Amino acid sequence: MAEIATVCPFCGCGCGLYVHTRDGHAIGVSPSRSHSISQGRLCLKGWHAHELTDNPRRLTQPLLRRNGQLVEVSWEEAIAAASRGLGEIAQCSGPRAIGVLGSARCTNEDNYVLVRFTRGTLRTPNLDCSLNIQCLPELSPQHRGIGLAASSGQIADLDQSDFILVVGDDPTEEHPAIAARLYRARLRGAHIVTASLRRHTLARLADVHLALRPGQEARVIGSLLHVLLVEEGMAREAAAELAALRASVADLSPEDTQAETGVPAETLRRVAQLYLSSQQVAILYSTGLALSPVSAPAVQALTSLAALSPPAVGARVVLLSLLSRNNLQGCRDMGVAPEFLPGYGQLNDDAAVQRLAQAWQCELARERGLRAWEMLGRVEGMYVMGDDVIRSLPDMARTRAALEGLKFLVVQDIFLSPAASLAHVVLPAAAFAERDGTSTSLERRVQLIRRAVSPPGQAREDWRIIADLSGAMGQPFPYRNARQIFEEIADLLPIYAGVFYASLEVHGGIRWPTLEAREAQPGSLSSGVTDAAEALTRAAARDTKMKASEQYPLLLTADPTLRPWDGEVTVCQALTLWEEFTVVDRDYPGGMLCLHPEDARRGGLRGGRDARVASTKGERQMRVRVSDEVPEGIAILPYAQAAGSGLMEVSAHPDTGRPVLMPTPVSVAPVQ
Amino acid sequence: MTARMVPHSRVDEFVARLMEAAEVIAPRRVEGGDVFYGPISSPAEVAWDYGTAVEPLKRLLVPQRETVLRFSVNEGIHVAAEMDERERVFLGVRCCDVTGVTVFDALYGGDIPDPYYMSRRQRSILIALTCQQPPNDTCFCVCCEAGPFLTKGYDQQWTSLPDGMLVEIGSDRGLTLARAHDDLLLPAEPDHLAARYRLAREAETKFSDFRSYIAAAMRKLTMNEVLPEVWEQAADRCLECGGCTFLCPTCSCFTVTDRWEGPQGLRERHWDACLFRCYAREASGHNPRAELGDRMHARFFHKISHQWAQRNGRQACVGCGRCVMTCLGWAHTPAVTEGIRRGVIP
Repeated sequence: MAEIATVCPFCGCGCGLYVHTRDGHAIGVSPSRSHSISQGRLCLKGWHAHELTDNPRRLTQPLLRRNGQLVEVSWEEAIAAASRGLGEIAQCSGPRAIGVLGSARCTNEDNYVLVRFTRGTLRTPNLDCSLNIQCLPELSPQHRGIGLAASSGQIADLDQSDFILVVGDDPTEEHPAIAARLYRARLRGAHIVTASLRRHTLARLADVHLALRPGQEARVIGSLLHVLLVEEGMAREAAAELAALRASVADLSPEDTQAETGVPAETLRRVAQLYLSSQQVAILYSTGLALSPVSAPAVQALTSLAALSPPAVGARVVLLSLLSRNNLQGCRDMGVAPEFLPGYGQLNDDAAVQRLAQAWQCELARERGLRAWEMLGRVEGMYVMGDDVIRSLPDMARTRAALEGLKFLVVQDIFLSPAASLAHVVLPAAAFAERDGTSTSLERRVQLIRRAVSPPGQAREDWRIIADLSGAMGQPFPYRNARQIFEEIADLLPIYAGVFYASLEVHGGIRWPTLEAREAQPGSLSSGVTDAAEALTRAAARDTKMKASEQYPLLLTADPTLRPWDGEVTVCQALTLWEEFTVVDRDYPGGMLCLHPEDARRGGLRGGRDARVASTKGERQMRVRVSDEVPEGIAILPYAQAAGSGLMEVSAHPDTGRPVLMPTPVSVAPVQ
Repeated sequence: MTARMVPHSRVDEFVARLMEAAEVIAPRRVEGGDVFYGPISSPAEVAWDYGTAVEPLKRLLVPQRETVLRFSVNEGIHVAAEMDERERVFLGVRCCDVTGVTVFDALYGGDIPDPYYMSRRQRSILIALTCQQPPNDTCFCVCCEAGPFLTKGYDQQWTSLPDGMLVEIGSDRGLTLARAHDDLLLPAEPDHLAARYRLAREAETKFSDFRSYIAAAMRKLTMNEVLPEVWEQAADRCLECGGCTFLCPTCSCFTVTDRWEGPQGLRERHWDACLFRCYAREASGHNPRAELGDRMHARFFHKISHQWAQRNGRQACVGCGRCVMTCLGWAHTPAVTEGIRRGVIP
């Protein structure tokens, strides 16, 4: 028996855990007490992480589609088929006809090698991760606002914070390790303010809850800025950027906001007072905000709030962007995005491109490529490494149809994911606890993931598969092990400078930038504030009000913070865990339509009974759940169910162009 | 039974002898910095001066995931049980964890004995190590009659005294083991026993104010006098991670899955937790405990009601404090006990 210290593979918190092994099998998991994030705690998912190994549903052999069926083949055949298929597309239609998706479930090494393969071997710039839709890279508000393309603080900062603002997040569902700290902060008397669509558990326990209706986030945060900058006269003597911000929120008085949104003016002023009297502020936001129709101005307003600081001497503000997956941060750090290079290098930065080209000994595709959703219907072939693209993007039917329409699709994953079942070539990868590597948590903590058991059957590490494929395509990679790849990353990426392998061997790892790299990272708060001022002005000028009508009296809204893991491929294939993460689908066939008790009463609807939900786009049968968490006039579906329902409008975000599930007017009638 | 003494200089020798005859499980610090009970490869590995292990002995007696039998349907049905028949000595076990095993004995060894558990249990010797200091500030074994020193439940109980290790004998198995090593385990003097009782008294006074009024909660739970809002509050604080049940030395629930691989397959047993939504869900979809508050109620009824205490021989909380450390919300045993007593969970 042995206990292997490693990192939880699920959400972005990066909890430390031990995998217990016996006779080459992973037989259990326990939390790490000495790890600074887990501190002896794990969530339901973490406690079952070992179930990804030794799992009869795992892919163990490469699969090739022959006569419409996926059949088992050898690695040689599979790699040759993948190489031939991708090569043919590149030859006929050019490399830009190929799109590649990286993974927030894979290690930094896997993603880095994938970037090298994509930009170097395939020479296509179409490289993304479907979960980048939850981040705001185009505006990079944090990048420009804080000087880091990530959270400004760390999770441990919550332990010292006396004012914590949680926007668009339900940490009890999305980030349990953070919820644990919020519960403890509440017990020691810190003020907790939540702002979200649902009045979830933490909202009920919070000092103040701001009930946000869809699309109101920017308005309410803007109004909070109004109280601080205009009414309280904060930062009056500060620079011109703040004057612009002050001007942009000048019209957002709490009274007007109350008339517009229903959030009481006094409540906003109370929040402002709590903020002003605090010593350390933490601002948290997550998918509930990032996937909202007004995500860009709202996140920028929060960034501005973080750029201000309460008047107390030595007061601090940290902004935490709570990423939904284990290595979403690292995946982006490695350059899995169409608009930047590994380490957030600019595509037009000749020196940065040159450095990579020299290290990789090849030319790079250095133009800006397509995003995940832009690839759909526009590329002819795709290579998908451990990415749940069908589930992540807002229109499942469209994504599925686009994948079905591809000339050639290669998917490497640990299970036969929905995308893999459509692929021409399926390559079995090694899972958590079967490989070495590093991952980077939402607080930029780089940690070692350790191999505890062997991958099943012929499954291999993702980076090894890509290296094999690259070799077959005439560009062999020199990598022998994960450590060698990491050392190259630390050497080439300025943000990872000083992250030595030895420092990772300490349980808990190390956060980037290290002292060494910090000097190379100029952070300018003012540019972020200027962005926010512009975005808020633009947002104020737009009519973002989404109205229900007489025919469609309720506003159907997707909530990414409600049951966020239901249907996710890894948890749904785990041996006992699947039960908890599919029970909602089984109890609420067709969808869990959450309604306010008053709306249910008016519509003659009862919890546990079926209802017909109709919008201009179609009609579906769902099952009703009546809950006072839901605001009146709103019907809520978990995000993945909403994306699969086909009832919701999908429109391009006015600031970012990315597809957003828009709150959609619907009628709900009982099924007789 | 008379107590023995081993000089400190010869404790390692005794451990080495134990290792010759059986697998010795002891607290040891693993890479990563935490202490787990696990097999040692040398006496020097034992972390004598540890706080509490991250986990109780449960994992070693009932693994989180275990193949219990294999079956095949080639020419008739064949079933073969997978029994663990290793001889084991559990050394340096905290008193709370030893007491947890006694609750397991009542649960798994009751009306229908569990062969997998019993096979391991009958081949194991339990050696307790007393706590002369409360190991953690979350410890409350003094509220649960499960430490810091024990009067029963162990095969041997070791206490470190200035002169050496005092070995108290608690069972025939413990006595047989002591007799087999008569040359090392010399008879203890009355002074040694007096010192042990003095240390036990002193240790009890060193516990922090962190306590759990189990008896008061037991009365209210048993008489069904708990205010319903207490369970609502408990539900608001529970994030359904299952950590309290997985780390609890007395929680024993499991689920069973069958796995087919062609004409053969295997049956696996996994830990389960009564706080999980699907725990009591029936195949029809009906869930008698659909509300988390009801599940919390059921859990604490099993932990500390009189009915269950009578059945198990004691209440099913040993005060190890692991639920306090692992609870994501604030719904651990002392907090809920406080809620039951006062009507409000902090």
